[in-house]
Amino acid sequence: MVCDDCKNKPATIFFKEVNPGKIVELHLCEQCAHKRGLLMAKKMSPVEILQKMLKEKSAKDEKIICTNCCLSLAEFKRIGRFGCSKCLSEFSPQINNLLKQIHQSDRHVGRNPVRGEKNGFEIFKLRAKLKKVLEKEAYEEAAKIRDLLKKYGIEDNK
Amino acid sequence: MASKIINNIRWFLPSQDREKNSEYDEIVVSSRIRIARNLADLPFELKMKHNHCEQLLELLKNVLTGKLKGKFFGMENLSMLDKESLLECYLISPAFLKSEKPSALFITERGNVTVMINEEDHLRIQSLSHGLNFPEIASEAFEVETTIGEELIYAFDKKYGFLTSCPTNIGTGLRASVLLHLPALVFTNEVEKVLKGAVQIGMAVRGLFGEGSDTKGNLFQISNQQTLGMKEEELIDTIVKLAHMIIDIEMKARDVIMNKARYEFEDKVARSLAVLRSARIISSDEVLNLVSAVRFGVGTGFIKDVELDTLNEIILVSRPANIQIYFGEVLEEYERDVKRAEYIRKRLQAEKK
Ligand SMILES: [Zn+2]
Ligand SMILES: [Zn+2]
Repeated sequence: MVCDDCKNKPATIFFKEVNPGKIVELHLCEQCAHKRGLLMAKKMSPVEILQKMLKEKSAKDEKIICTNCCLSLAEFKRIGRFGCSKCLSEFSPQINNLLKQIHQSDRHVGRNPVRGEKNGFEIFKLRAKLKKVLEKEAYEEAAKIRDLLKKYGIEDNK
Repeated sequence: MASKIINNIRWFLPSQDREKNSEYDEIVVSSRIRIARNLADLPFELKMKHNHCEQLLELLKNVLTGKLKGKFFGMENLSMLDKESLLECYLISPAFLKSEKPSALFITERGNVTVMINEEDHLRIQSLSHGLNFPEIASEAFEVETTIGEELIYAFDKKYGFLTSCPTNIGTGLRASVLLHLPALVFTNEVEKVLKGAVQIGMAVRGLFGEGSDTKGNLFQISNQQTLGMKEEELIDTIVKLAHMIIDIEMKARDVIMNKARYEFEDKVARSLAVLRSARIISSDEVLNLVSAVRFGVGTGFIKDVELDTLNEIILVSRPANIQIYFGEVLEEYERDVKRAEYIRKRLQAEKK
């Protein structure tokens, strides 16, 4: 593969630019990549960006707390990990920029979960429970669990 | 025990239903996909208590053993040697090996897809293949992801996608990586420049570095780092295109070597094979370097009586924990070096016939 710019030297640098609506791909030699300003200082890895940005602390951080798991923004900045599935939306105003820096984007465009509406977790717990009570031959309890499953639109006659 | 090791490395060996080696298999040693997922209704690792861990394991045991064919093990039931072997075969991560919380591993029947349960995220679904095989391993990993998602709700946000413990995995939760064998680029000193290009477009590059600056076995792993803002297919496509570009440059460097130093190259390859065929004591690092030379020889067509699959097997079985499992006994370093040499001699002899 030769360089897209000079059409002479072999391309050793593969560059992908994501613009709104289109993706531009470039194959460049080192010199031409330099000319385009693509080889600046050593690029920071996402982990390095994360570590650097988490150091930007604010006095308010202690007071911003996830209502679901009680993780504070201050604690998140210290550890760099979320505590539950609600943390991100709770901290979103403060950390949207962090995600943008790490991923050069703040919007998911990939797959969606196969099934989000039904409460599969509950259904699953009920099914597991049903199996257990059936093993113990506790039929009355089993009937109650079947009623609950029916509420989720599941007829479980096994 | 020997059958156990073959089980762990099965994903690396072509099966009847998998396509025979492609032309790139000598350069692209293996491909891997990893998907990170968490369940919406359980706290993430940081906030998980013991009962949450047990609930997670039970839920996953039910779903996985109920809907998929494979084996489910509690990690506490495995010996350290077994765990090290799984790591050496790339079936678990280093963090998972060291983890002290309740955790479990599911390995599909075919042996190339694993689910690590209770890693840094609730689930790490991983799919592996020898060679460059992305569409296939991606569909295998997503099949497992979908099967679990049909029963359990994943932590997902409309704007940010799938939610993970660490902000660096958010969105698709997808990491695609390739392990590349680049002996000619190392020989011509171009490898650093080429890999710098990969880093510039946001890829992570890891060489298997040994003592000093010598790379072990001329092997380099490249993977994506960005997980948000691109489709899964685009992330994979970027890695595949990059791999093809590097293959191209490696092939050119090989032409240069063949034109300028053919006999030196052939001499090195032939001597390396001779050492593998006759050594009585051999370390796993030495195996990596000798196999690299022979692999290069197979790639250029100079070596005709050794199969690539045999070399893949030798690299994996030669590793410290694997060699002990292969022989079914705990071995000290010196004994391992002796047994390793014995295994390789036999393996290459079998090949000759
Ligand atoms: Zn150029
Ligand atoms: Zn939370």
